[in-house]
Amino acid sequence: MHKMGASYSEELGETTFSTTLSNGLEIYICKKKGFSKKIGLFGTKYGSVTNDFIDITTNKRVKVPDGIAHFLEHKLFEKEGANALDLFSKMGVSSNAYTSFDQTVFYFETVEKFDESIQMLVKLIKEPYFTPENVEKEQGIIGQEISMYDDDQNFMVYFNALRAMYQKNPVRIDIAGTIESISHITADMLYTCYNTFYSPQNMFLVVVGDVDIEKTIDLIEDSINKYEVKSNSKIEKFSEEEPREIAKKEIVQKMDIYMPGLCIGYKLDLCSGKDIIKNECIADIISDMYFSRLSDFYDIEYKKGYINDTIDFIYEGSETFSHLVMSATSTNIDELEKDILEYVDKIKFEPIDEELFETIKRKKIGENILSSDSLGTSYRRVIDSIINGVNTYYDVEVYNNVTSEDIKEFLNNLDEKYRVTSKIISK
Amino acid sequence: MEVYKYSDEKFKSINISYNFTTQVEDNSIYSQFSVLGALLAKGSNRFKNQKEIEKYLSKLYGANFHIDVEKIADLYNMEFTFEFVNKEFLPNKEELLDKIIEFIDEIIYKPADWNEENIEREKEFILERIKERKDEKLRYGVQRMEELLCVGEPFGNFLHGDVETVEKIDKEQLKSAYTKLLNCPVTVLVSGNLKGYEDIDKIIMQKLSKYTINTSITSLSPNVKSNCERKYEEIKEYVETSQSVVSLGYRINGATSQDFYALTVYNAILGTTPSSKLFQNVREKNSLCYTVRSKYYRLKNLLIVFAGINNDNYEKAVNTINEQVEDMKKGNISQIEFTTAKDSILADFSEMNDLKFGVVKLIFTNLIAQKNSNSSIEELKEKIRNVTIEDVIRVANMITLEKVLLLGGGENA
Repeated sequence: MHKMGASYSEELGETTFSTTLSNGLEIYICKKKGFSKKIGLFGTKYGSVTNDFIDITTNKRVKVPDGIAHFLEHKLFEKEGANALDLFSKMGVSSNAYTSFDQTVFYFETVEKFDESIQMLVKLIKEPYFTPENVEKEQGIIGQEISMYDDDQNFMVYFNALRAMYQKNPVRIDIAGTIESISHITADMLYTCYNTFYSPQNMFLVVVGDVDIEKTIDLIEDSINKYEVKSNSKIEKFSEEEPREIAKKEIVQKMDIYMPGLCIGYKLDLCSGKDIIKNECIADIISDMYFSRLSDFYDIEYKKGYINDTIDFIYEGSETFSHLVMSATSTNIDELEKDILEYVDKIKFEPIDEELFETIKRKKIGENILSSDSLGTSYRRVIDSIINGVNTYYDVEVYNNVTSEDIKEFLNNLDEKYRVTSKIISK
Repeated sequence: MEVYKYSDEKFKSINISYNFTTQVEDNSIYSQFSVLGALLAKGSNRFKNQKEIEKYLSKLYGANFHIDVEKIADLYNMEFTFEFVNKEFLPNKEELLDKIIEFIDEIIYKPADWNEENIEREKEFILERIKERKDEKLRYGVQRMEELLCVGEPFGNFLHGDVETVEKIDKEQLKSAYTKLLNCPVTVLVSGNLKGYEDIDKIIMQKLSKYTINTSITSLSPNVKSNCERKYEEIKEYVETSQSVVSLGYRINGATSQDFYALTVYNAILGTTPSSKLFQNVREKNSLCYTVRSKYYRLKNLLIVFAGINNDNYEKAVNTINEQVEDMKKGNISQIEFTTAKDSILADFSEMNDLKFGVVKLIFTNLIAQKNSNSSIEELKEKIRNVTIEDVIRVANMITLEKVLLLGGGENA
């Protein structure tokens, strides 16, 4: 038997169990009764923003090229002569991996081959295999991935906003790096990053689905205990101090597209993990109250012909960054920008429409239930809560307890001084 | 009107999907129905604007609705989807069904009296959809290839039609488009957790069938033969991007509906999984791309392969892709490629149960493709299991390359 914790959400009728193995690995299992599919995710709290740290094997400080966390993701999912996606596929299991600013996650989805998949996932992550040849081969593939994102206007308009907000923080660098930066990556550097950040104490394993809790933990423990823990000493990361000031007021880029894109960013004060989740929820509510089809503002802009799609209003935070981004597409991008900015200044000083606020809270209760009908929402919530160090269903709690004062306070923190604009326009 | 339902108590909500499906007699339907769908989504007789709609739905615990238009091979489909939480899971077990039924009735059957301003605005937005279609190059590469392979057939039209037709749309046209919509066969799919809603199909029939006629979707023909010339062609379209996109269009000659299963396996071996020939050879062995995939069009007997490449590698990519297709004709399919492909298809079928609308969507597809709602997920899996390597080699030899499209050539590409 393992010492187990459990988080329960009455609203969703869902429980997530958790335990920590003796080697330090955290395990979370979100029980989804009745679902056939099981998803297993093995992740590390290491992503693109970490490029300066103490090499755990030599104890020396190292700086690594941009894009290495993502490169490592690709290469870990490859074994001697075979790609992991292919190995899983041969078992009839689909798999994939992703790298973000602060995490790298490998996962599989299966109906029938759960046990074998867990064993395979652990084996892949615990048995790195990097050679100069396979590193070189990957440079071509990732090069095409980078080019694909370079042509993606939604991605570019967002990243340019980050580049405008941040002066030093590596969040301003593309997650995959550049074709130039990845050309400097070697097999040795990959081992350095791997040894430092893929130790059990820095990792988590999440399972979502209708599985037996004890048996699953035993299975994970048996799979991982085959491997010796090389080093579990504390990870030390460095980052240049990020000034409070923004880097640039505006970035405009031309692309071979028809529909222009707009992204307005507000750089905010850093906050705790709990407040990160809270801010995510508050921004979501503000988005509905002030920028969705429920708002007068949307109706006005729509009638002018400026918007037809949504205006996104999203908070993002981590240990080293904190900001709000608003994005939209429009053929009248300059006029839309002007209207949004005037409107943000106006709503800060207006009283909150309490009736609307209550309607939105009611809507959120339903939306949370609706989203629990898919496994994807469940694992994203679990990972988000791990990264931010909060209870699994803390977001549901926030939606229940948020007040109109919270909304007001968040709006008041949107300071013109820390605001940036990014635009993608046609060539 | 026909109503199909499927209940699964692991879900907490209910989906109702209204499908109006029609044969395309005149290509103007693409433009007209796009504008019509956009107008219907924006208001009704009772709901004066989007805000009123959203307010009504928000109070129903985030119930939501959307209208989608789609091409199903040569057929046209307008789908109204409504989603709401089963009362069992709501505070005070609040019942929402009556209000949802009222809402469906309002949105579909009681349209607003559109004025010129409404109409012109939605026309503008549809024009934007048409003009921005090239913004996502990979998606455009596939869509453009579909059109090149289907010149003169309904499927060869862009989903939202063309600029000239949209510009000419007026109220009269929209009114007659709306009448045409109401005369389409209607298929209603109800799914999710129907516990406590066992009579939902009867309620829908009773309250919402008064307006519809009794033709069935099974009477429609999804594949209209055309006389367009089937000749080999290479097309280059200039775009200024970092990455170029190549798409190859293949025709499947002489396939019958029974070949669907062998072709599904063929397609998986060729290019839908990371073990596929395309992924292994074009991406892993030759590092030519990040994305490469094949797409099989069951109803149109077409196959499209697409990849994002460096412009300099265009010829090498086309040759490598073609080699895989030729290889399969010669029977170069290993046992492992064959079983992997089958397993991946079987796994996809098994997962359908976890999608709220998975099972009813399958029923809908069956109604169009085989003219009945038969064949369960289990039966489909059995037919896939029964496919032999010989079947796959036989269908591989039905496939011929017809068009190659390159989007690229820009200064960076």
